Amino acid sequence: MKMGMVIDLEKCIGCRSCMVACKQHNAQPPQTWWNRVFTPGSHRHLTPPALGVEFFLPVHCQHCENAPCEKVCPVGATYHAEDGAVLIDYERCIGCRYCMSACPYGVRQFNWEDPEKAHARSEYQEKYHYGYPEDHRHEGRLVYSPLRPKGIVEKCTFCAQYRDKGELPACVRGCPGKARFVGDLDDPDSDVSRLIKSRNAFTLLPEKGTKPTVFYLPPKAKEV
Amino acid sequence: MSLKMRLGLVFSGALFLVAVAAWIYQLKEGLILTNMQNSYSWGLYISGLAFFVGNAAGGLVLTSSIYLFGVKKLKPLAKLGALTAFANVTAAMLIVLPDIGKPIRLYNMLLHPNWMSPLVWDVIVLNLYAAAAAIYLYILMLPELTGRLGWLAIRVDDPHAFSERWAKRIAPVALLFAIGIHVVTAWIFSTQGARDWWFSPVMAPDFVSVAIAVGTTVVLLAAALAYGTGEKYQEAYRALGLIIFMATCVHLFLMANDLVIHSWYGNAETHRIMDIAWGDFGPAHLFEVAAPLLGAWLLMRPQILGSLPRLLASSALLIAGVFVHRFLIMPAAYNNIPMTMTPFGLPESHWSLPIASGRFLPGMGTFLDQYAYFPSLVEVAILIGIMAYAVFLVLLAIARLPILARENQ
Ligand code: SF4
Ligand code: SF4
Repeated sequence: MKMGMVIDLEKCIGCRSCMVACKQHNAQPPQTWWNRVFTPGSHRHLTPPALGVEFFLPVHCQHCENAPCEKVCPVGATYHAEDGAVLIDYERCIGCRYCMSACPYGVRQFNWEDPEKAHARSEYQEKYHYGYPEDHRHEGRLVYSPLRPKGIVEKCTFCAQYRDKGELPACVRGCPGKARFVGDLDDPDSDVSRLIKSRNAFTLLPEKGTKPTVFYLPPKAKEV
Repeated sequence: MSLKMRLGLVFSGALFLVAVAAWIYQLKEGLILTNMQNSYSWGLYISGLAFFVGNAAGGLVLTSSIYLFGVKKLKPLAKLGALTAFANVTAAMLIVLPDIGKPIRLYNMLLHPNWMSPLVWDVIVLNLYAAAAAIYLYILMLPELTGRLGWLAIRVDDPHAFSERWAKRIAPVALLFAIGIHVVTAWIFSTQGARDWWFSPVMAPDFVSVAIAVGTTVVLLAAALAYGTGEKYQEAYRALGLIIFMATCVHLFLMANDLVIHSWYGNAETHRIMDIAWGDFGPAHLFEVAAPLLGAWLLMRPQILGSLPRLLASSALLIAGVFVHRFLIMPAAYNNIPMTMTPFGLPESHWSLPIASGRFLPGMGTFLDQYAYFPSLVEVAILIGIMAYAVFLVLLAIARLPILARENQ
């Protein structure tokens, strides 16, 4: 089994629902976003950089097969789970932030302070908590916690807490355009494998040699 | 103990205590007290690591000169070399601590070391080098550990012969670790394919050359302060000055070589890097080139080596230039977002995906692709305190241990 994801840029309408679903479900502290949707070429989202040119690009952890973040981690806090997802052990991470420099996709996020203090600083309503409310262990290691320890790094887990219960990641469920697919890349007949073959799928920054397991389907030209 | 020495100890000790207090405060509040954020995730502390590692090269230069190249006139400075090396390599390890988000968990490095990680290698070789420098210093001091310090000495038949023999044996091992700390520290950066500014095979040899220049300058500075600039030491100083100048030239050559090759090919990443290095940081870049060159050139001149204030000023110029060089490791790496692409249908565009900052920054958005990093007060206080620690250690050792050659020798 090798988990993989396909994002169809033809279907993505740039609504950022996945971004918000991800943020909420995973209880991300203020200013922390595991998943970002932007309009390539434009400084403002949903504003075409040129007439007739517009597509949207969601980027989160690419769960790389050759993951530099995993290789640099001095304590093995970042690791590959059996299904191919790259996870962080919240109990082992020492917060050296080496992985943040090493990741080419800018998806790793540090807890610069206690999340409760961050909530107060950003003037969130008092005692307002959102997201999956329990700690979650995957293969015995703490990979999700609603209140993060200060001083550790976090990022997309492909929603380990939901997948372990047989549910799809929040971004997949939350996408109104049904642009996201997950499945087994080792199985040639899975949805993801078929889409990758039939639709000229590509990966981000292939020249970095990271071998992402998140694939993108190119958008067609927009009608003007 | 002279009054000057006493003042030096009190002053440097106090600065170190300020750093400890600042670190405790930072432990409580988190790294929010620094000015780093997610898209600029290493700052003054890690620049400080590279800086101190470089300063620690003095031991390497002296031992290799004395035992490999037979430059006997440097012998009276051997202990100072080992001492400054020890002080700086331990300072390098100390400055990493405040950069760690959860230092309490550092034991995980022992329990679960990831052998692929250059950071693990660096911790190992820094420790080995610190141990080697300490043992080497001890062996050199052994013949003089008598009287009040007698209890420190191991019992051997002929301490002089023993010291000579073992210094020779340890020297090549220490040399290996010494080169190791520069190479491995450089690898921490240069293995990162994500960052074009760092991903260069020239970084490790360049780290070695900078280190030889600045590490030797540190020894020269310490020697001038301890012994003065009398005729007796001029020969040794001139030898050091020559080493400093040659190493500085090699460093500048390696740096320029890298820049020429990259800018010749001229892809978009390189343009971006050049814009940062020569544009945003133009004056700093000029300083990182001019200050070491000028400092090193001055340190070759007898008029400079013969006058304490001039020697101090020239050394300070070189060290300041190298410090700025270390600071400049970061901007062109972090302000050049790796996740950059040419979007479909926009062949002229070169677009970077902004990164969530992870912390509230007044007056700034959450998503950043540019960030003008300047260290916070806490970061500066900690860095200065660690510098003071190195000074304190050197002064204390000089005051209490037989580091300096006695006049009658
Ligand atoms: S996208 Fe970044 S964090 Fe995710 S696996 Fe790849 S290198 Fe690691
Ligand atoms: S910050 Fe944590 S996950 Fe990242 S490299 Fe350091 S220990 Fe590993």
